[in-house]
Amino acid sequence: MLERLANEIPRFFSGNNMILLLEAAGTTLLMTFLGCVIGFFIAFNLVYMRQTPGVFAAPLRLVAISYIEVFRRIPFLVIIYLVLFLIQAFVSNASLFSIAVIAICIYATAYTAEIIRGGFESVPRQQVEAATVMNFSRWQTLWNVIVPQAWPVIIPPAIAFMISFIKDTALVSQVGVFELTFRAKELNNQGYSGILVFGTIAFAYFTMSYPLTRFGQWLEARLASPGHQKRP
Amino acid sequence: MNYTFQFGIALDRLPELLQGALLTFELGVLAFWGGALIGLLGASLKIYGNRLLYGLAQTYVVFFTNTPALIQIYFLYFGLPEVGIRWSDYTCVLIGLTLNAGAYLTEIMRAGFVSVHRTELEAGETLGMSRFQQIRYIIVPHIAKYIYPAIANFFIVILVMGTSVGAVIGVDELTGQAINISTENYRWLEMFMVTAVIYVVLTFIASISLALIGRWAFRVKAKIF
Repeated sequence: MLERLANEIPRFFSGNNMILLLEAAGTTLLMTFLGCVIGFFIAFNLVYMRQTPGVFAAPLRLVAISYIEVFRRIPFLVIIYLVLFLIQAFVSNASLFSIAVIAICIYATAYTAEIIRGGFESVPRQQVEAATVMNFSRWQTLWNVIVPQAWPVIIPPAIAFMISFIKDTALVSQVGVFELTFRAKELNNQGYSGILVFGTIAFAYFTMSYPLTRFGQWLEARLASPGHQKRP
Repeated sequence: MNYTFQFGIALDRLPELLQGALLTFELGVLAFWGGALIGLLGASLKIYGNRLLYGLAQTYVVFFTNTPALIQIYFLYFGLPEVGIRWSDYTCVLIGLTLNAGAYLTEIMRAGFVSVHRTELEAGETLGMSRFQQIRYIIVPHIAKYIYPAIANFFIVILVMGTSVGAVIGVDELTGQAINISTENYRWLEMFMVTAVIYVVLTFIASISLALIGRWAFRVKAKIF
């Protein structure tokens, strides 16, 4: 066992493999970032839709609520397969990367929508009522009253979600996107020891995820308003 | 360009899918309870342990929460046979998920332990409560009320996100069963749509029962939606 590791380590950490893995890590980060950022903007609109008042907007609210409730209850793996086959049924040559980004986006939308809604609801009602009294339009209320106060509440969990999603994108390897987990399986299939390969990949994910997590915690402490700062 | 949906073929295989759903539920429950035990131990170590035990628990949590569950399971499944430990795919998924859940539950439970204020215990003591009464009437209700929503939510996450990872190494739970059947009849889209619906129904049942249990047992106003 140890002999095998000692034999393989110099071969495994060769320049070629490292470049391959770095590229794969880049793909992982890029698709998570793209999917989550696009998802964030869609989620913002979804929440706006969900909070439209009035009887005639009921279908709008229903669509928004059912989207959020349904897609938070379907595993990411199932969403990936659904997106893959749905897109392949209608578009013949879609790239796997774009399919992965769409799947991530669909999932991230549902989760960040709840985060954004929580942020909006953290703003005291009286302020919204005051804005209404002063004849602010709905968009003005949102943009000038709610968002400036809600964003310190929204941004930290949204970033935390994105960081935790870096790990969940490992599942995208199932449809063959060249990201970190896919490359790991490939290297394992080439005959490298599973302990070595998956240990290294676990460490690679750790080096991406851990510093970002700490950054997120720092940001949260930084953005918290003085009244809400954590007790030491 | 044209795709004809044939849900009949997918619905014919519903019994097999439901069998998969049962396995999903079983995996979810086992991993959750295993994880809860680990979490209880980890949280106690982090709060009452000395520096070494604290460091141990902290390393475990940091490592397992910062690497993907999929890689942990791959490590168990493809890595461990090299040192002579051969587990079946089911065991690998169960152990991987349990360890993963344990790390997250450690943090959740620690938050619960920390939330009990000294003053509450002192008040209890002043009222002449015994140690057991303090635990029964102050600590447990307080912790339960504080962490129940988070734990109930986490159970749903394991039930959905966690167990579906098993499909990747060939466990026949709901997603795995859907993949198996689709490779036979090539109706991937319909199969996965039906699977998605089953997942939604399964988690709704779980959410509603957890909310009811929370209301009945801990007087928690757990939100269903």
